[in-house]
Amino acid sequence: MTSQDHVPMTRAEKRQAKRIRRFDNPWMNPKLLWGVGLLLGIIALGLIGRVLWDPELVFTGSAPLKLPPVGFENLRRQEGIWDYPLGTDGGGRDLLALIIIGAPNTLFVGLLASLIGMSIGIFLGFSAGFLGGRTDDTIRVLADVMITIPPLLILVVFQSAFGDVTLTMMALLIAGFVWQSPTRLIRAQVLSMKQSGYVQMAQLSGASTGHIMFREMLPNLVPYLFGSFIASVTTSIVTAVGLEVLGLGPQRIPTLGRTIYEAINAGALIQNLWWWWGIPTLLLAVMFIGLLLINLGLDEVSNPRLRKLS
Amino acid sequence: MTDKPVLTLRDLSIEFPTPKGLVKAVKHLDLTIQKGRRVGFIGESGSGKTTTALAIMQMLAEPGRVSSGTIDLAGIDVLALSEEEMRQTRLSRIAYIPQGAMNSLNPVMRIEPQLWDGIIAHEGHVVEAELKRRSDEALASVGLPHHTAQLYPHELSGGMKQRVCIAMGIILNPDLIIADEPTSALDVVTQRQVMQTLKDIQAKIGSGLILIGHDMGLMAQSVDELAVLKDGELVEHGTVQQILEAPEHPYTQDLISSVPLVGGESFLNPERQADAPKRDSTEPLLRFDTVRKDYGDVTALHPLSFTLQGDTPQIISIVGQSGSGKSTMGSIMLGFNEPSQGKVLYEGQDVYNMSAAQSLAFRKNVQAVFQDPYACFNPFYRVNHALKFPFKRFGLAKSEAHTQQAMEEACAAVGLDPDLVLSRYPHQLSGGQRQRLIVARALMLSPKLLIADEPVSMVDASLRASILSNIYDLKDKYGISILYITHDLATAYHVSDFVMVLYKGHVVEAGPPKEVIGDPQHPYTQLLIDSIPWPDLHRSWGHTGGEWDPEAKEAAARRADMVFRGAVPGFDLVAG
Repeated sequence: MTSQDHVPMTRAEKRQAKRIRRFDNPWMNPKLLWGVGLLLGIIALGLIGRVLWDPELVFTGSAPLKLPPVGFENLRRQEGIWDYPLGTDGGGRDLLALIIIGAPNTLFVGLLASLIGMSIGIFLGFSAGFLGGRTDDTIRVLADVMITIPPLLILVVFQSAFGDVTLTMMALLIAGFVWQSPTRLIRAQVLSMKQSGYVQMAQLSGASTGHIMFREMLPNLVPYLFGSFIASVTTSIVTAVGLEVLGLGPQRIPTLGRTIYEAINAGALIQNLWWWWGIPTLLLAVMFIGLLLINLGLDEVSNPRLRKLS
Repeated sequence: MTDKPVLTLRDLSIEFPTPKGLVKAVKHLDLTIQKGRRVGFIGESGSGKTTTALAIMQMLAEPGRVSSGTIDLAGIDVLALSEEEMRQTRLSRIAYIPQGAMNSLNPVMRIEPQLWDGIIAHEGHVVEAELKRRSDEALASVGLPHHTAQLYPHELSGGMKQRVCIAMGIILNPDLIIADEPTSALDVVTQRQVMQTLKDIQAKIGSGLILIGHDMGLMAQSVDELAVLKDGELVEHGTVQQILEAPEHPYTQDLISSVPLVGGESFLNPERQADAPKRDSTEPLLRFDTVRKDYGDVTALHPLSFTLQGDTPQIISIVGQSGSGKSTMGSIMLGFNEPSQGKVLYEGQDVYNMSAAQSLAFRKNVQAVFQDPYACFNPFYRVNHALKFPFKRFGLAKSEAHTQQAMEEACAAVGLDPDLVLSRYPHQLSGGQRQRLIVARALMLSPKLLIADEPVSMVDASLRASILSNIYDLKDKYGISILYITHDLATAYHVSDFVMVLYKGHVVEAGPPKEVIGDPQHPYTQLLIDSIPWPDLHRSWGHTGGEWDPEAKEAAARRADMVFRGAVPGFDLVAG
């Protein structure tokens, strides 16, 4: 607007301008990028690892026992060797191979469980909010009751009854406990959206219920759905790992939780075999931090008020 | 001190750095306010009225800043004050009465301690008896009863809350009161009462007053001087008389002419009457059969019957304040809100008991324009979705090109450039543009009946007249019958063929507008008309003169029966 002031910008002003420019594309959010980067890193580890490393090393007895990572010594004064760079466990399995196979498995359970949970949540939330009346009462009471039941309790009973389960089966069981909060969230959003002008306009335009639900309302819910999805992935992984560390869940497929269970069971803590439980834990931490960053980033993307200039 | 101005703004500019560059909200503003004078800031939303007021208080929202100029408050350079000095100055020297006083009171505190807060913050410890004396005095001065002090905000009506806010503002006898649209959320009757209170108290303490608003009529009745702002610039400044009688700037002229007067010249030009679209049914277009609506124990609409024949296009106005049941009536007609009793018949078919095919036909033929143009568009889609979708859905579209052509024609008919608006997202358009698009949508579908629920109340004043004439054209050129729901008697006077005044769910007066609004007989209609602020200095807020007693009128209105002022052919009203 003012053309006469061509004073060169100071460094602080330049930095400010750069920050302001970042506003133009909210998806270039540093938190979001870091979070996605961390998760993609774990997936890449699983994919590339299968090609470059020998996945057969996850079987018991395929390697020497209790070797430390490279550069460390174990209590028996054995040094780590490059054949097994992250060390081996008490059953003679290579830890690098274990995490290459196990980390994607854990992530898979989390994603699948929350995908199923979210789908149930979207369906029930929409039905409750849109149809109202008896349907709404039933779904709301069901969700409210389910939310008070500690999932671990039920899952422990289920899993011990089933014995060995597959990853998919486990995801299905966990999905039964992550649909409640998306249901409530979407129901609330749908209720308020139902009163909005554009939904009334669509009704006036003779739109069918399906059109109103999926073409008018759903697109506007996408930011909420994303945020809710990431949150339920976190919950699912926590639940899955919790079960695995208790020794439940898949018995023959390596997962991060199962590795920690075996480490604890074999007395890795007393024997100072820290890499056995430490490396899977570290990987879990990276996974959770990644998810948290994505969640924070999405929050800022969908809610511009949280974006700060400074 | 006596002849010194309370406020002097010199070359004041305010800017907001945004990602798109600097936005100058206020440009080189010069203004002086003398002691005891009332100055009105008038202009559209975004013209910099509130920004200027907030700058005087040093309360500009981040990242806004004063980029040049000075603010001199009775000898003090406001911009040079420290944070603490500014805190001391606020309320004791400048008081700010916010827009939504409803939300400005703390809901968990009684009124009295909220009044005390200001005194304690400025004077430190004061004995309770003294606090009590001063708060009672302040409440009495705004005409609130003594016991109000012990109530919680939710126990007060909107007008009372606004008066509490005024009492808070004047409790320390400031030099300057800034009132930011203090009555925008109130009904006309309450608005008049509150403005009277504000004027009285300002005269009593002799402070300056800045009244921010967009209603020329309210300004004419309330202030001595007017400052007209447009896009951050002061386009005209002078006494109310000067500005109303000889406005110089074209924008001021627009503002003044956009306020319709009862009995004044019409802003519409009814050239020719179009015939109603051909109807295959001899049944009346719309019939209310003893329709009644209850919400719990409250009856929003008392049994009402009417028949709209619809053979000649007509505009029927339903006038009332908020809570009168007028919007309930609108949603019942649209089939959104099932009546508790009675039937709504569209061409002889019960609206709430239709087959899918009948329902589609009903939807095609009964369309609506809603109050809030901001909510009417799905933010996810470009605006043409709202026009295209119903056109296709009702089977009107012959081809993609035909749809496009129909959209462009409809836009042109309401005065919009189709190339400019159609491919935009809703947030890129102004409220006025959006409301016109909704009118264009109705035009494309050419319904038989249009229900317009407060179509212009959320649009800037200067655009209201043109949008109303767009709607009027629907009847005039395209033969669409219209039910116009509004609180604004002046516009109802001009556009309608028949007026119904609604009060607490009852029709209290009905008839042709020249009778009902031009010469009201029912006490409630009289009260409404007396409360309208006219942009006319010789017509001092209603023409009854002398005593103005809304309570007595309301009491009379409750007792009085419905007054029927004559019928028009094609519309029959039977009140239950």
